[in-house]
Amino acid sequence: MPMDSRLLHDLKKLLGPRGVLHEPEDLMLYEYDGSVEVARPDCVVFPRATAEVVEIVRLASRHKVPLVGRGTGTGLSGGAIARHGGIITSFARMNRIVEIDAENQRATVQPGVVNSDLSVAVEHLGLHFAPDPSSQKACTIGGNVSENSGGPHTLAYGVTVNHVLSLEIVLPSGELMRLGSPALDPPGYDLTGLFVGSEGTFGLVTEITVKLTRNPEAVKTLLAVFDSVDDATETVAEITARGITPAACEMLDGWTIRAVEDYVHAGFPLDCAAILLIEVDGLREVAEAEAKDVADVCALHHAREVRVARDARERDLLWKGRKNAFGAAGRLAPSYYTQDGVIPRTKLPATLRGIGEISKKYGLQIGNVFHAGDGNLHPIILFDERNEQQFRDTIRAGDEIIEFCIQMGGSITGEHGVGMEKDRLMPLLFSEADLDLMRRVRDVFNPTGMLNPGKILPISKGCGEIYVRPRPALAPPSA
Amino acid sequence: MAATGPVSGFSGADKPEYADYSRCVHCGLCLNHCPTYRLWGQEADSPRGRIRQMQLVDEGRLELGEGFVTHIDRCLDCRACETACPSGVEYGKLVEVARAQIEQHYQRSLASRVARDFVYRWLLPHPRRIAAAARVLRVYQRTGLAAFARGTGILKLLGLQDRERLLPKIDTDFFFGDLGRTFPARGPRRARVAFFAGCVAQVTFSELNRATIRVLQANGGEVVVPAGQTCCGALPAHAGVRDVARDLARANFEAFPAIDFDAIVTNAAGCGSTLKEYMHLFPAADPAHEQAAQFTIKIRDVSEFLADLGLTAPLREVPLRVTYQDSCHLAHGQKIREAPRKLIRAVPGVELIEMKLADQCCGSAGVYNVTETEASLELLALKMDSARGTKAQAIVTANPGCILQLRAGAAIHDTGQEVLHVVELLDRALQRA
Amino acid sequence: MNVSNAMVLSRLAELAGPSHVTNDPAEIATYQIDGKSPAAVVRPASSEEVAEIVKFAAAEKLAIVPTGARTKLGIGMPPRQFDLALDMTRMDRIVAYDPGDLTLSVEPGIPLHKIAGTLAEHRQFLPLAVPFMDRATAGGTIASGVDSPLRQIYGTARDFVLGMEFITGEGIAAKSGGRVVKNVAGYDMHKLMIGALGTLGVITKVNFRTFPLPRAARTCVATFRGPTAACEFRHGIARSALRPQSVEILAAGAGCDPLLGRRAAVSFEDDRWSVVVSFAGDEPVLDRTRRELQGLARGMNQNSLESFTELRANLAENVNRYIADLPAAILEYSPAAAIFKVSALPMDMAGLAADIHGIEVPWLVMMRGLGVTYLALLPPDRSEGSLRVLKQECARIFSLSERAPWGRSVLLWCPSELKREINVWGAPSGDFAQMQKLKSVFDPSGILSPGRFMGGL
Ligand SMILES: Cc1cc2nc3c(=O)[nH]c(=O)nc-3n(C[C@H](O)[C@H](O)[C@H](O)COP(=O)(O)OP(=O)(O)OC[C@H]3O[C@@H](n4cnc5c(N)ncnc54)[C@H](O)[C@@H]3O)c2cc1C
Ligand code: SF4
Ligand code: SF4
Repeated sequence: MPMDSRLLHDLKKLLGPRGVLHEPEDLMLYEYDGSVEVARPDCVVFPRATAEVVEIVRLASRHKVPLVGRGTGTGLSGGAIARHGGIITSFARMNRIVEIDAENQRATVQPGVVNSDLSVAVEHLGLHFAPDPSSQKACTIGGNVSENSGGPHTLAYGVTVNHVLSLEIVLPSGELMRLGSPALDPPGYDLTGLFVGSEGTFGLVTEITVKLTRNPEAVKTLLAVFDSVDDATETVAEITARGITPAACEMLDGWTIRAVEDYVHAGFPLDCAAILLIEVDGLREVAEAEAKDVADVCALHHAREVRVARDARERDLLWKGRKNAFGAAGRLAPSYYTQDGVIPRTKLPATLRGIGEISKKYGLQIGNVFHAGDGNLHPIILFDERNEQQFRDTIRAGDEIIEFCIQMGGSITGEHGVGMEKDRLMPLLFSEADLDLMRRVRDVFNPTGMLNPGKILPISKGCGEIYVRPRPALAPPSA
Repeated sequence: MAATGPVSGFSGADKPEYADYSRCVHCGLCLNHCPTYRLWGQEADSPRGRIRQMQLVDEGRLELGEGFVTHIDRCLDCRACETACPSGVEYGKLVEVARAQIEQHYQRSLASRVARDFVYRWLLPHPRRIAAAARVLRVYQRTGLAAFARGTGILKLLGLQDRERLLPKIDTDFFFGDLGRTFPARGPRRARVAFFAGCVAQVTFSELNRATIRVLQANGGEVVVPAGQTCCGALPAHAGVRDVARDLARANFEAFPAIDFDAIVTNAAGCGSTLKEYMHLFPAADPAHEQAAQFTIKIRDVSEFLADLGLTAPLREVPLRVTYQDSCHLAHGQKIREAPRKLIRAVPGVELIEMKLADQCCGSAGVYNVTETEASLELLALKMDSARGTKAQAIVTANPGCILQLRAGAAIHDTGQEVLHVVELLDRALQRA
Repeated sequence: MNVSNAMVLSRLAELAGPSHVTNDPAEIATYQIDGKSPAAVVRPASSEEVAEIVKFAAAEKLAIVPTGARTKLGIGMPPRQFDLALDMTRMDRIVAYDPGDLTLSVEPGIPLHKIAGTLAEHRQFLPLAVPFMDRATAGGTIASGVDSPLRQIYGTARDFVLGMEFITGEGIAAKSGGRVVKNVAGYDMHKLMIGALGTLGVITKVNFRTFPLPRAARTCVATFRGPTAACEFRHGIARSALRPQSVEILAAGAGCDPLLGRRAAVSFEDDRWSVVVSFAGDEPVLDRTRRELQGLARGMNQNSLESFTELRANLAENVNRYIADLPAAILEYSPAAAIFKVSALPMDMAGLAADIHGIEVPWLVMMRGLGVTYLALLPPDRSEGSLRVLKQECARIFSLSERAPWGRSVLLWCPSELKREINVWGAPSGDFAQMQKLKSVFDPSGILSPGRFMGGL
C-alpha cells in the first residue's frame, strides 16, 4: 500500500528529507528485526525530539495509518515490525543522555540511548544501569522498556521495570504525558509498572528516567564444568537451598558450548555435558565467601572442574562466551530460532529431557542456553530457511517446547516478549476473560489500535490451536 | 518481478555468496559498533542493512543501482562489525566482493571513473609513478604554493580546504632507495624478517619505515627489504578492483620467498590485514591460493611480532602521557588489541590512558577521507573529542593512514597532540639510550 | 442498600453460606471506615464465591469494600457508599509453595505471620515488614501499598509480586503475570492492583517471589545533632560499597513522647537525629560493615556525632520490628495522629528534614534511606481546637508538597474529621485521566471501594 502523498509531504516538511524513508529499497531494510518475522512498512521516520514525535503521531492518527516504534531492531518477537504496514518511528537519532544525577542515582535518557552506552557513561561514577540483556551493546533503553528486558543479572537485580521510575510518553492520540516520578512511590495507580513491557502498544516513549545501581565492590565469576546435565541442575537447586542468591547463574549445554567455544575461545571444555556460569558479588567478604560456598556445592555435585576468573579480562571472556551464544549458533546453520520459555527452575531436568525428545522427533538440532537461576530457557533451534518443511517443523518444535513449559507451570516468554510471534500462543496461558480485559486495558491507551497493531493479543478468539504461519520467506537466490 | 522469477543482480566470480551472507542472522548486535550507523542511524548504512542489500541484490529483489552503490561506498570497511558479530560473519570479505560486483556492473560517473582508474590502475601498482606524483605534490607543499593556496582561500573556493589538510605530507627522502638492502641485527640475531615497505608509505612515511627497521634491529632482528615488492593491493581490493589486487599479490609472492624468513613484517595495519587475507583473492582451485596460504602464515604486524618476540633492547625513559587509538585493521581486521598496548606500556615513563571508544574508526579508512569527506570529518571530530578527553600529550596508533587522519584532526581541532606510530614511540626510547 | 432487604441477605447467604453473612450491628461496626459502617458483612471462601458476590453486587449497585485484618482501612478516603464489607479472611490458604523455586502462592486473607512461619521452615521469608504485621493479611498489605524498611535492599511489592488473580467489578475472574520469577507475557495488570485499595478488583490470589533469610544480622544506631549530619551519614552509606538491609532516620520535635523513641532505641531529645542501620551477612561482613559505619559516622563534620552504638541481638530484633511497625505504634499512642508519606529525592532529604524541623505541633519523622519519609503530626488530644490546628498544619504540608524538596505527599492516616475537608491524596497527578479510564474498565459500575482512591476513584 503506497503512502498517501499528502502524509508523506507533511512528514518530510516536519523532519526534512533525511528524516523520512519511503523508497522500497529503503523499506526492505525495515522488514525485519532480530526475530524470524518479516513485514514491510510504508514509511520510516527519524524524529530527533519529543515535539517531532508528537507531530508524527498526530499525522498518523489523522491519516489513520498504523504506527510502530523501533529502537535498534534487536527484538526477538517481531515487536518492531510493521505487521500491518504503516509508519515505523525509529528512535535511532533520539539517543541523547539528557541528565545524569549521580547523587540521587538517577539518569534521564532519550529512548534511543543504547543500553550499555548509559552504563559506560556512568562508569566513572561507580554506577551502572542494571538490566543487562545479552544484546545490551546494541539494544536501546526504549526497547528495553517496551519489552521489560532482563538479562543474566536479573536473578539478583531484577528486570527493566524494577529500574524505571518515570516515562514521558506520547499516546496514539498525540497527547504527551508523564507517568511516574523520579521520586519513589508516586500516588495513584502504577501506570509506569503497567506500561513497561507493553511492547510498544500503549504509546511511544520519548524520555525515560531510570535508577542507577552502584557497582559491587567485588565480583567473582565461576565456571563449573559437568559431565551430566542433572548434576548441573542439582547444583543450581542446592545453591538456592543454601540461601545464596547469585548475581547470575547461567547454564549452557554441551552442544552450545562447542558452538560458542569455536568462536569465543573462552576455554570452555569441548567434551562436557553442561557448564554453569555463576557470578556472586557484593562486599569483598561476601563475594569471597559465597564463591567458596558455590565452589563447594559444585564439587559436591561432581563438577569436573571449577574455575574462578582471576581478573576482569577472564571474567569478560567467560561472559562473552555466554552473551554470544545465540549468534554463535548462527555460524552453524543458515538460520536459527530462539525460544524463550520459562519454567519453575526445579523442573529443569524434566524440561531438558522434553526438549531432547522434541529435537529427536523433528530431527532438528536444538541447543540450550538458559538463565538457570530463574528458569528462563532459550532453546536455539537450527534450521535452513530455504527448506520450507524444515522451517515449518522449526516453528512447530518451538511451539511444542512452549506447550511443555506451560505444562510445567511456566510461561510462554521470559524476556523476549509476545510480539507477533506468540500472540497465537497467548490463549494457552490466559483465558478469554483475561485477554479481553487486557484488550480493554490496551484500549485505554490505544483505543483505535493503530499503535503497533497485531501484537501481543491474538486476533482470533478462542482456542490455542497451533497453526503455522506462511513462511516469511525470501525468494531463493538464483545463480 | 519478471515472470521467469527473480534473477540475481550479481554474476561471475567475486560476488557475495549465500554461504557467507546467510551467516548473518540479522540480530543487530553489530549496529551500535558501526561508525556509519552511529552517524546516521539508518539500516541502509549499517552492517546488517548492507548485508541485507547484498542478499536482496543476489535474490534479484534489489537493483544493483545508485542506492546500493551509495550505501556500500559509504562503508568504511573498518570491520568493527566483525568484532561485534557473534555469528562470525566475514563482513570484510563480503564488502570487497560486493564492491567487485559494483566495479563490474555499475557505471559510475565519468569523473569518478577517471579518478578511480587513475588511482587504482595507473598509480598504485607502479612505484615509479608514485614517486613521480609525490615529487609534484612535494613541490606544491614545499614551494610555498600550499601556503599561498591556503592563504588566499582558493582551496575554500574549490571546496578543498579540509580535504587538503587530509593529504599526506611528502617526505624529502623517499624510502625506495632502501629496497633490496639488508639490515643486520644488533646483538645476537633472534629472528630474520622481511620488511614490507608499502607503496604510498614509501614517499610519505620513509622515516616511519626506517624507525621500524631500527626497532627490529635493536631487538635482534635481521631485516631484509626485498627489492621486487610492491603495493599490497589493499586499496584496490577494498575498492573492488580485484584484478589489480591479484596482480599485486602475485608480484609479492615472488618478492617474498616465504620460507626464507621467520616473518614478513609490516608497520601498516591496513596492509597487514590485506596481506593476511590474500587467500580471499583466489578461489581454492587457483594455484595461487596455495601460494597465498604459504605467504600469509608469515605475515605479522610489527606490534604483534615484537610483542611475541619480547623486547630486549634497553629503553630509556620517555615521560609522556599517551592514549592509544586502535587502528581498525589491526583491532577488527587482525584482532590484535593487546600487543600494541603491551609495547606502549613497556616504555618507561609512558602513561597510557584509554580513550572512550578507542576502537571506533577515526574516519581515515583508506581513501574514505577523500571520497566521503563529510562523514570522515564527522568521525574525526568524535575521535578527537575522545582523545582530548584523555588529556594525553600524544595519540599512538598502528597504521600510517590513521596517523595522517589523526594529525589532520589534531590540527583542525587544535588539540596540540602529537601523533605517533607504536614503533616511533619505541624508537624514541631507543635513540636516547 | 436497604438492610432490611431480606432478599439481599438471603441471596448473599446462598452465595457464601448463611453463617458467613451478617448484619449484626456489633459486628458490622468493627468494619467501619472513618465512621461509616457497611450494611452487611460477607465472608467468601473461594474466588468463585467472590465472583458471584461481586456480580450480584454489580447488578444491585451495592458498593463493596474488600477487607483483610482491617488494620489499614484508615488509609485513603472513606467510601462514597458502603454496602458490603467483603471479608477475605476465610481465604487464607497457602496455595503453593516451592522453596526450590523461591515462589509462593497465597490466598489474600492469609496473615503475614502465618506466611512467615511456613517460609522460615525453609529459611526463607517475604520482605514485608509492614505496620501491623502481627495481624495484617497478604491481600490487605498489597492492596494498601504500604512499604517496609527492607525496601532498601528488597524493594517493594511491585518488585516481588509475580502475578495475581482478581475479580473485576463485573465479577469476572482474571489474572496477569504468573508464578515464575521471570515472565513478560501479557500486560502486567497486577501492578495496578498494588496500592489501589481494592478500587480495581478483589485480589483472590497473590504469587510472590520469596527470599533466603539472611544468616545473621546486626543493627547500629548513630545519633547526630541536627538533620544535616544525619542525612550526610545516609549519603555516605549510599556512596559506599556497603549494602545495608535498612537505613532509617528518626527524630521528633518537642512534645513528642520520648517513650516512642526509646522503644526504637533512639533518643528524642532536642534536635537529636538518629540513623538506625541494620545489615546482614556472615561475621566478617558484619564486622566490616560495623567498622565502616562507625568510620563514616565519625567522619561527619562539626563533631556532630553524638553517639554510635551497636544494639544487642535481641534488642536489635525488637527495635527493627518496632521501626517497621512505627506508624501503627504512633496510632496506638495517638489515635488522632496525622501521618504523611512524602516521597522526595534522596538529596532533598536534608532540606525536607530542615523544613520539618520548623513545624510547631509535636511531630515525629521517619525517613527511609531511599527517600520515602513518614511524617507524623501528633495532636495532644482529639479536641476541636487540636483538630483545627492539625488541619491547618496538614494543609500547609500539602501546599509545601507542590515544590522541592517536598515531592509528592499523601496523608496516609488521619482522624476521620479531617477527611471531610482535606483530600488525603492531594491533587490528582497529570496522568489521572488514564487512571479514570482504567477504573471504568475494571469497575464500570463503580462498586469497588468507590471514592477511596486518588481523585475520588
Ligand atoms: C543476540 C540477542 C540477545 C538478546 N538477549 C536478550 C536478553 O538477554 N534479554 C532480553 O530481555 N532480551 C534479549 N534480546 C531481545 C532484545 O534485544 C530486547 O528485547 C531489546 O530490549 C530490544 O531493544 P531494541 O532497541 O532492539 O528494540 P526493538 O527491537 O527495536 O523494539 C522492541 C519493541 O519495543 C518497541 N519500541 C522500541 N522503542 C520504542 C519507543 N521509544 N517507544 C515505544 N515503543 C518502542 C517496538 O515497537 C517493539 O515492540 C536479545 C536479542 C538478541 C538479538
Ligand atoms: S566495516 Fe565498518 S563501516 Fe562498514 S559496515 Fe562494518 S562497521 Fe560499518
Ligand atoms: S552481528 Fe553479525 S549476524 Fe548480527 S546482524 Fe550484524 S552481521 Fe548479522
